[in-house]
Amino acid sequence: MTALAGEASPTRTPPWRDVRVLRAVAQIVFLIGVIAVAAYLGNNLLNNMRRIGIQTNLDYLDQPAGFTIPGSSFRRTQSRMDAVMVGLGNTLRVAVAGIILATVVGTIVGIARLSRNWLVRTGARLYVEFVRNVPLLVIVIFTYLAVFLRLPRIEDSAEALGGIVSVRGVWIPWYEGGDRFATWLLLLAVAAAGAWGVRRWRQRVQDRTGDRAFGILYGLGVFAVGATVSAVALGGPIDITIPDRDGRLVSGGIRMAPEFAALLGALVVYTASHIAEIVRGSIQSVDRGQNEAAQALALSGPQRMRLVILPQALRVAIPPLANQYLNLTKNSSLAVAIAYVELTKVTGDLIGNGAPAPQSYGFLMLLYLMISLVIAAITNLVNRRLRLVER
Amino acid sequence: MQRTQGWRRLLAIVAMIGLVAAACSSDDDGDATATTTDPEQVDLIQTDSHVEAILQAGSFKCGTRDALPGFAVLQEDGTYEGFDVDFCRAVGIALSVDVEFVPVETAARFTALQTGEIDLLSRNTTITATREFGEQADFGPVWVFDGQGVMVRADSGFSEFADLDDTTVCLVEGTTTQLNITAAYEEAGLTLTEALSFADTDLVQEAFIAGRCEVWTSDRSQLAALRSAFPDTEGGPDALAILPDIFSKEPLAPAVINGSDLIDTVKVVAWAMLNAEELGVTSDNVDSLLGSDNADIQRLLGIEVEGEVFNPGFDLDPTFIRSIISELGNYGELWDRHLTPLGIPRGDNELYTNGGLHYPPPYK
Amino acid sequence: MSPTVAAPDLVPPVPPRSPRVWMHRNLFRTPGDSVVTVVSGTVLAYAAYRTIRFVLITGRWEIIERNLTLFMVGRFPRDELWRVEVAIIVALGLAGLAGGLVASGRSISDPEGLEPDAGDWPTRVRTAVARLWPVLAMIMVLLILAGTPGPALLAIAGLAALLAGRRVGALIPRSIRGYVIGFTFLSPFVVVAVITAGGGVGWDQWGGVLLTLFLAVGGITLCFPLGVLLALGRRSDLPAVRVVSVSYIELFRGVPLVALLLMGSLTLQLFVPPSWAPGPIIRATVVFTLFTAAYIAEIVRGGLLSVPAGQTEAAKALGMSPTRITAFIVLPQALRNVIPAIVGQFISLFKDTSLVSIISLVEILGVAQVITQQPGFAGQGLTAETLVFASVIFWVGSYTMSRESQRLEAKLGVGTR
Repeated sequence: MTALAGEASPTRTPPWRDVRVLRAVAQIVFLIGVIAVAAYLGNNLLNNMRRIGIQTNLDYLDQPAGFTIPGSSFRRTQSRMDAVMVGLGNTLRVAVAGIILATVVGTIVGIARLSRNWLVRTGARLYVEFVRNVPLLVIVIFTYLAVFLRLPRIEDSAEALGGIVSVRGVWIPWYEGGDRFATWLLLLAVAAAGAWGVRRWRQRVQDRTGDRAFGILYGLGVFAVGATVSAVALGGPIDITIPDRDGRLVSGGIRMAPEFAALLGALVVYTASHIAEIVRGSIQSVDRGQNEAAQALALSGPQRMRLVILPQALRVAIPPLANQYLNLTKNSSLAVAIAYVELTKVTGDLIGNGAPAPQSYGFLMLLYLMISLVIAAITNLVNRRLRLVER
Repeated sequence: MQRTQGWRRLLAIVAMIGLVAAACSSDDDGDATATTTDPEQVDLIQTDSHVEAILQAGSFKCGTRDALPGFAVLQEDGTYEGFDVDFCRAVGIALSVDVEFVPVETAARFTALQTGEIDLLSRNTTITATREFGEQADFGPVWVFDGQGVMVRADSGFSEFADLDDTTVCLVEGTTTQLNITAAYEEAGLTLTEALSFADTDLVQEAFIAGRCEVWTSDRSQLAALRSAFPDTEGGPDALAILPDIFSKEPLAPAVINGSDLIDTVKVVAWAMLNAEELGVTSDNVDSLLGSDNADIQRLLGIEVEGEVFNPGFDLDPTFIRSIISELGNYGELWDRHLTPLGIPRGDNELYTNGGLHYPPPYK
Repeated sequence: MSPTVAAPDLVPPVPPRSPRVWMHRNLFRTPGDSVVTVVSGTVLAYAAYRTIRFVLITGRWEIIERNLTLFMVGRFPRDELWRVEVAIIVALGLAGLAGGLVASGRSISDPEGLEPDAGDWPTRVRTAVARLWPVLAMIMVLLILAGTPGPALLAIAGLAALLAGRRVGALIPRSIRGYVIGFTFLSPFVVVAVITAGGGVGWDQWGGVLLTLFLAVGGITLCFPLGVLLALGRRSDLPAVRVVSVSYIELFRGVPLVALLLMGSLTLQLFVPPSWAPGPIIRATVVFTLFTAAYIAEIVRGGLLSVPAGQTEAAKALGMSPTRITAFIVLPQALRNVIPAIVGQFISLFKDTSLVSIISLVEILGVAQVITQQPGFAGQGLTAETLVFASVIFWVGSYTMSRESQRLEAKLGVGTR
């Protein structure tokens, strides 16, 4: 770019030497090239689809799917579009649950990797080094076969604390919402805000006097009192439904399907092993002096971890963690191996039953891309927040 | 400095050439559109002889599966075995070319046929009107008469389809099995708790054994095979019962791409193997029957009678049926070799003389 | 790349004085610690018990024994197997050659002798075993399962080729060393040539480990040019080039590989004229290539960012053109910095090849799923055995490679300079 600046020519630069013209031409040529390739491929696709007799429009989305989807109220007369949306919902469900659980498990294992206890440290290492080096697909199939298909049959289901555990699913008591429930939630929010205020107040007391003021305990107490009082005032805020088994059928409660549980379990086990390494690395990246200084202040081990090490480690860990969250979401597509009907699986089922493959997969890509972009946006947001807090 | 400018000029020239080339090539695209939409020139296969192309190549590609017991299974030694696989081999013998097996997945099988990835689809495929006309496949004669059925545990108390209210069904994904069973429940006024579609048969079996579902649906030939191989630790075949109801007809047949002349070979091979069974020609006696004075057998085996060999009007070597029978056997022998050991009954697939549905057109 | 370099524990290790002291320090420091030890000890012991019981007692391994060749090469014609054997020996010889070159070059590039395998023969064998024990154990298991002398002879021949290559590599004069190293990078092509050339076996008939390696090596090799171009495109100062590169990278990184493979297997053949329709293995390779290119692009971009700006500026001051700066100054340094990350990507690709079993290609996991349908094995519930065997193969490959890549990382000193 500096080449022309050195050439102090008195005459006007001819266009084939003008860097601006050259840049514009290069870009136009490049774009034309890309468009030509895309047009060529697209043209082939359309011709081939016409020749073979695959429909080339999106009408298929409005046609009935013809099958039902386990674990949902989807009827066979509903449209294929609705089926895709049910699949999208299932993908998001397993992704959100997986991200939360994998973070928790991964953090625990990551800390365990650095434990002073040899057995804990070795166990955590064995887990990480085994799971990280095995294909996730194997883990998914294995979790389903070796864990969730080993649960008792529905006829001999295990029942405890109102819950039912069987190969048909796990049921636990659940609430049934209503107007009263919404009111109660509102009151709970008020109680939570009150509890937060009380905690802040106790914290200030502690900061001023130097005596322990049990801010968290006070806060929890306020919240518990608020929740109980409001519940009693409303005359019981929610109706609990307890699962009840009659032969092979269970009514009431809420059910977790074994396919969902297996996919979730496999994703958590696999992703947690990666998260553990991130957590370990980021803990080790915290300057050793920080730990020693905290020790000098007589903070206990857990306190040092919670108040000094983890907050600093978190900042290092966020970008790779976000990457793992994205991977987990994408990996939920491995449900195609077991019968959990998320996005990829439902798309495959639709194509198997007559939907045109190119459009169906194009649509699938689009949906995944949207999910990925949302996760990326959230990560950037968190990243920016953390950086601001730092400085 | 000089060099930099030289590079720039070069870039400009390349850019100009690229521009012109791109413009030209997009013209080409336009031309391509014009030509390829013309059905006469779409596919060489449709204008030229498909068989001719195969003969020149010396081999043809037969689309099949690799894990469907009895019909097509990949063996320990890397070869394929099964009822569908032997049909491919028979066509190969008829054309005197090698057979190259290509495992194709269910969802991709018609695309594979349409794009020429495979020449013949012999893969347990049901003839339907949509496939015949919409997917541009030409089906040969029905090779196996099958139908979708359901299997339950023998001690479950279910004795017919109408008993299956509030049940969970397991099946293998990828074909119309799922649509059929859903529709069948609805038509019978039964509640289908869940229909779980798995990626492969093994998972379905594990799920069924574990009690994840009480109904197992598939083609009845498959159910029979699965039942006879049911592990003894789970009670063996007697622990399972196939219900009598058939709620979907599944006539399975080989297919080629629309307009291919390979379909004639496919037809004649299927007829020949059925006729051979009807006439009692087997791989054991085919050589001794070469002196037969039965006119039907003489025509079938291409035996020279008074200097004349029967030729229905094609280019195949008239002795090809003789080769097929002596190498592979007739239809019944194929069945006995691949399907009987799995406990799959002949049933509808008997010849009409034995109360079955096979009624091969006469070879004359 | 996640931080995989072994870092010292927070607590400095104390040399154990006696088992009792060691146990006290490491297992029963506090009452809470003791509880944790007992609980985790019980869990680990139970897991170990179940594993050993399965491997030695309850597992029915006949299906693996009978299908060993299928696991290795799939439906590769058995009378052409010598080609694979020759290819293995050639590949090991070339690998030894490369190793020998690196080892002999060490005295200059690595005077401190960080390489542990110096010393007398027993020490070297011991370090080699310590490094490669999973592979050696796997080979032993395979040889025992095979039970015939052929594979053992192959293993001995392969070992001999490896050692001979190493010896020869050390003798190669410095002047042609660069060319020889370049040639060893071509060894995948040599292997493919040995197997396919002269009436050989096309890759349509490959399977098992052979197919897994073909897909993984093919994917990483072919994606490389595209990945580097995309990385450069993403840093280009031409907005059009940047936008196209970023779109490509984000599209392929935002979509699951399974979905891409399924899409590729059903629609890739529709994007080309009918006469060119690619076969299933080519379709999978194309998908792996396009997919991995996006990840390689991001890795290379990281490498480009790691090259100090002073390098570019110094080159500019010397009057080099931008193309030459990129090609001769920036890229070599960037690529050197990202070698471990690329190895990491290769490991992940190696594991991801298992996904092609979903589109009916018979690689390792595909074999595991297909053989449970063979007559005699069908319906016997042997999924656990076949899956365990397949996952052990993947584990051995992946674990060994990641350990070696850590060593490489430490040796290259990436991030420590």
